[in-house]
Amino acid sequence: MGAMQILVEHDPTPIVRTMATTLRRAATAPSLNSKLARMRGVATIKSSTDPQSVTLTFDRGTVHVHRGVAVNTDVVIELDLATLNDPTPPKPKITGAARHPMFALALSKVLDPPRGTWAEAADTFWNFASSGSGMPTGMRVVNTDTGDSHQLGDADGGVELHGSAHWLVAVLSGNAILGEEILAGHLNFVGALQHVAVLTGRSIEYTLNGGY
Amino acid sequence: MDISEVDAWLDANEIEWVRTEGVTIDGVIIGKHLHRSKFIGALPNGSAISEIAYGMDLAGSPYFSWWPNWRRDALGDFLQRPDLSTLRRLRPGVATVLVDHCALDGAPLPVCPRALLQSVLERIAEHGYGVTAAFEIEGVLYSESVEVARKTGYRNLTPISHPSPIGYSNYNSHHQVAFMDALLPRLADLEIAVEGYHDEAAPGQFEINLIPANALQAADAVLRAKQTMREVAFDIGCSITFMAKPNDAYGNGLHVHHSLRSLDDGSPVFLDADGAMSNLMRNYLAGIVSTMRAATSVMAPTVNSYRRFVGWAAAPTTPTWGEDNKSTGVRVLTRSPNSTRIEHRVASGDANPYLVLATVLAGGLVGLEQEPELPPPLTVAGWGLPPSWPHLPTTIMDAADLLSADDALTKQLGSEFVEHWTQSRRWEWLMFNTTGGDATSASVTDWELSRSFELG
Repeated sequence: MGAMQILVEHDPTPIVRTMATTLRRAATAPSLNSKLARMRGVATIKSSTDPQSVTLTFDRGTVHVHRGVAVNTDVVIELDLATLNDPTPPKPKITGAARHPMFALALSKVLDPPRGTWAEAADTFWNFASSGSGMPTGMRVVNTDTGDSHQLGDADGGVELHGSAHWLVAVLSGNAILGEEILAGHLNFVGALQHVAVLTGRSIEYTLNGGY
Repeated sequence: MDISEVDAWLDANEIEWVRTEGVTIDGVIIGKHLHRSKFIGALPNGSAISEIAYGMDLAGSPYFSWWPNWRRDALGDFLQRPDLSTLRRLRPGVATVLVDHCALDGAPLPVCPRALLQSVLERIAEHGYGVTAAFEIEGVLYSESVEVARKTGYRNLTPISHPSPIGYSNYNSHHQVAFMDALLPRLADLEIAVEGYHDEAAPGQFEINLIPANALQAADAVLRAKQTMREVAFDIGCSITFMAKPNDAYGNGLHVHHSLRSLDDGSPVFLDADGAMSNLMRNYLAGIVSTMRAATSVMAPTVNSYRRFVGWAAAPTTPTWGEDNKSTGVRVLTRSPNSTRIEHRVASGDANPYLVLATVLAGGLVGLEQEPELPPPLTVAGWGLPPSWPHLPTTIMDAADLLSADDALTKQLGSEFVEHWTQSRRWEWLMFNTTGGDATSASVTDWELSRSFELG
C-alpha cells in the first residue's frame, strides 16, 4: 500500500481530528488506500446543527485537513452530526456531486471505512484503550440482538457493555462516544462510575485520534 | 477565632444562618446556607457537600472522561472545613465563612484551590518568606438587569459609561456611582479594604484595586469581592461580567502584585542595600518567567480567555518581564524597597484568584530551587515582537499541553492538581467545539457568553 500523508492544521478541532482519523483508518484498507492515492479535489463537511465544519484537500496521496469551509471547495456535505450513527440517519445534503461525480463517489467510500463486526471492533478498541490509566482490567461485551457475549481482558474485570450490534459497532469502531450513547439509552453499562468515565475518555481519544 | 468562641460570636452578631463559601477550580463559588446549630455541630471539619461539585464543568455537565484518584465513586461527599478567621456578618441574621474542601478524614483535596494556595505558601515559608499580595479586579457593568441580559443572550447590552475607550474618565466613573455606593459599604462589612477604583478602557469597564494583604487574604478578598459585585449588580438591577473578553473591546484582566518578606522581621527582600535587585529576587523572578508559558493554562482558564491575548490591546502576549513595562507578562516595580514588587499581568478576569496566585508563587519556587538564568528585561513593546520570539500560548489546548509538559511547575502545584486541571481544560475545548461554539469565529460566540458571562 502507498504511504498516505494525512496532514492536519495546528491545534486541530475535534471534527478535524475525527476526519483525519477516519482517513487514516481508510488508508489501512487496501482498496481505499489506492482510492485515496488517486483522489484530487476539495471537500467540505459541515454540521447542519452547529458551527462545526472541516475541509479536506485531496492531492494524490496527501490530504490536508483543516477547520472551516474553503472557498474553492468542490463538494459540500451538510449533515446532522448527532444523528450520523442512527440506524437510519437522515440523508445528508450534498452539493457539487453532479459536477464532480467521481470525486464525490470516492469521497463517500473513504469517509466510511470498514468497521468490522461488533466483536472485531471490540477487540481493536480494547487493544487501543486497555492500557489507559484507571481502566478496568476486563470488559464483557454483550450483543443484545443475539445474546452472544465477547470477553475483553480479564473475566473478572467487573464491567459489562450491552447493546445492539449496530450501537456496539458505532462506539467500538470509534464513530460514536461511549458515554454519549449510554446517556442516550443506546447502550447499557454495568460497572463503577470511575470505569464508565475512564472508558468514555478512551472512547473520545479513539474517536479523535485513533491511536495514530 | 477558636471553635469555643463561635457560639458567642454568632450571638453577638444575632446570626441565625451561616453561608459557606468555597470555590471550584473554575472559580465558581459554592456553598450552603446552614442553620447555626448545624454549622457549630459540624465543626471543625465542616458539613458535607457532594463531590459532584468538583466533577462538573461551567455548564453543569459532569466530567465524563477521566477519574482522578481523589474522587469518590457513586458521588459521595466532601467536607467544607470553615476557616473561622473569615467568619463575617453578611446581612441581618446571616454570616458568611470561607471554607476549604477536604476529604472525610479532613485531608485537603489536592484540587481545592484555597488549600492549594496554602500548601504553596507553606513551602515558601519553609524558605523563610511570607507573601504580600494585592489584586486588581476588572469588570464590565451594563445598564440592563441580569434577567434581561439572559433573555438577550448577553448581546446588545448597554455599557454603563460613554462608549469610547478612554480610561480614567471621571465622567464615566460618575455613571458607576450607584453601583460603587452600594458596593463599597458591603465590602467594608466583609473587611475587604479597597485602595481605589476607576473607569477603565472598555465601555462600561471599571477597575478596583484591593489593599495589599497576606497572600491568602488577598485571594479571599477577590473571591468575596466578585461575589459581592454580582450580588450588588443583581440588587440594583444592572448586570456585570468578569469574563476575559465579553466583546471586541479591551478585555478584563486580573493582575496580581506581590512581594516576598522575611518571616524573621517582615523586611522586604527583593532589593539589596544599594537598591539593585537582590539575587533572591533575580532567581525568584527567573522562575516565574521560565514557567510563564505553562502557567498560562491557569491564568487563562476558558476558551474565551485566549481572545484577550492580542497584540496592542493591553494584555501581554509574550513570556517576558520588564521594569515598569506594561507590555510584558511580568512588570517589575523597584521604586523603593518597601514597594518593590512583581506584577503578573497574564491572568484574565475569569481566572480563579487562588490558582492564579498559587501558580505565580509556584513559578517563584521553581526559581528559588533551580536558579534558572534570568533573561534580560524587555525594554521595547512586547506586543510587536515577531513570531520567532517565544509567545504565550494562544489556545486552551496549547496551554494545557505546555502545563502538562512542565515538570518543574507540576512538582510545585502537585501532579494530581495539574492532571485534573489539564484534563478539565481539554474538556472545555471539547465542549466548546462540540456543543455550539464556533472555532472559526474571530469574535466572542454565543456559547462563550452563555457559559461565562455570569460565572466567569
